[in-house]
Amino acid sequence: MDGPAIEMRGLGHSYNGSPVLHNIDLTIERGEVFGFLGHNGAGKTTTVNILTTLITPTHGTALVNGYDVITDRRRVNAHIGYLPSEVRMYPHMTARENLTFFAELSGVESPNRAVAETLEYLDCSELADLRVGSFSTGMRQRIGIAQAIVHRPSVLFLDEPTAGLDPAGIRQLRRTILDLNADLGMTVFMNTHQLSEVSKVCTTIGVLNHGELIYKDSMEATMRRFPDEMSLEDIYVRMGGVPA
Amino acid sequence: MIDTIASQQLLSMRRQRVFVVAMGLFVAMTAAAGALGWSSHQTIVRVYEQAVKLLAAQGQPAPPNPFLLKPELSLLSNMVVYIPLLGALLALLIGHMAISDDGPAGRLVFSRSVSRGDYALGKILGAGIALGLIMLTALAISLFSLVVVNHAVPGLAVLGRLVVFYGLSWLYVMVFALIGMGAALLSRRRSFSLLAALGVWLGFTFAIPQFTSGLRPTESLNPIIDPVGISQRFFEVTALARPISIAEQYKAASGQVLAIVPVESASSTLSHTLPIAVAAALLVAAVIALVRRHDFSRSSYED
Repeated sequence: MDGPAIEMRGLGHSYNGSPVLHNIDLTIERGEVFGFLGHNGAGKTTTVNILTTLITPTHGTALVNGYDVITDRRRVNAHIGYLPSEVRMYPHMTARENLTFFAELSGVESPNRAVAETLEYLDCSELADLRVGSFSTGMRQRIGIAQAIVHRPSVLFLDEPTAGLDPAGIRQLRRTILDLNADLGMTVFMNTHQLSEVSKVCTTIGVLNHGELIYKDSMEATMRRFPDEMSLEDIYVRMGGVPA
Repeated sequence: MIDTIASQQLLSMRRQRVFVVAMGLFVAMTAAAGALGWSSHQTIVRVYEQAVKLLAAQGQPAPPNPFLLKPELSLLSNMVVYIPLLGALLALLIGHMAISDDGPAGRLVFSRSVSRGDYALGKILGAGIALGLIMLTALAISLFSLVVVNHAVPGLAVLGRLVVFYGLSWLYVMVFALIGMGAALLSRRRSFSLLAALGVWLGFTFAIPQFTSGLRPTESLNPIIDPVGISQRFFEVTALARPISIAEQYKAASGQVLAIVPVESASSTLSHTLPIAVAAALLVAAVIALVRRHDFSRSSYED
């Protein structure tokens, strides 16, 4: 498939008349690991909700894999994986039952095989037959990623994936994201405010401030652009007035 | 897609203690209805046998066995009360759980290629299958009770009536499953939506019949005709709404199906069933419409 993985043009959204996202123009190429930075309430989750077709934007357009998120929802959904900030699946069902359900919803031809392969790929086969309700945050996150990739999407949306994880969990997640990008060629769109994670896994970053995209560039170019800064955190702080 | 959603719902539901307990209670009450029928039958028969002996000793002819004068399915008359009480309550719970359990996982479901129409139909199908299985269990228990009491397998006519009765009961309780779903879709607060659905159930089961039956509380609870007629003007007016009082319509129709109240005609039984079917159809449409407008992007239901 040609063209960018994600393309937004004049994208905006309002809740009850209050705008939360203003005219976002953003293109993310295939194979990128994109870090979407912003303070709480900046509009990151709203953007992901639009791109995963959970909500309809009030203006502008957004394409995922070339398909319009408003008019071609089902095709968009067929190509994406989504991990929400709070992973909540069916607690009375086992991990395997949950994953099989989501694989079937995605139209996977051999759901059982896909689930077994995904669990093995993520090295969490031991969780397969345990009920999700008994899982710790870290275990839930691993099974959450499994549900997001069980149908082998080409674009993966992660909303604050490190929230609530301990350092070991964060390290494991970082490795998983890099593997998914390298092994399966997935484009990753990651909402976060964990700056340390962004610098370690992302190839490109975008900064959202009060619903406006104020910066977008590659990680390399960002470091070059702010050579005097000590860390991404310093750059992020300085970016308050940097235009996109 | 519809069947995938329905089977997930059934799997998730049967693992939940609250559902298992409510279902167990309903099945136990069905068995109790049979046991009560059997017990009253035994009492009548024993009293009759003693009376026959006494009359024979006095050289008098014995009257016919009173039990034989009663309709064969009369021992299930308690079911006509249990279904609007426990069956409808269980259905309400099933409908509520079907939607509110998806509060947290709904975002994941709709990030897939799932149409909202398919989702709603899957949920309704899941509830329908669950209630169908429960009604089948109740049918089997009732059949067993009849075999125990009569020492014989019921004839086809009785069996047919029993099947129609549980089919009608399924339709009736589906109305409450749909009410449970609708309430869960209208409110994000799990406890509030359950309470609201319970309020509707109370209204349909107890409050509305008080007005539409012309203040005949006995009739609103039991499938018998109260001899006291409508005497007050207010209740004469409210009684006009009787056709839409589905609890009363259910009792009238099921009483006729079980032949425990005088059967007017087959069309009269159907006319009692029609308001229930219309209510169910309207609620299916309402649930589909509510699912279409529901915001599944919000993370979870609050308690």
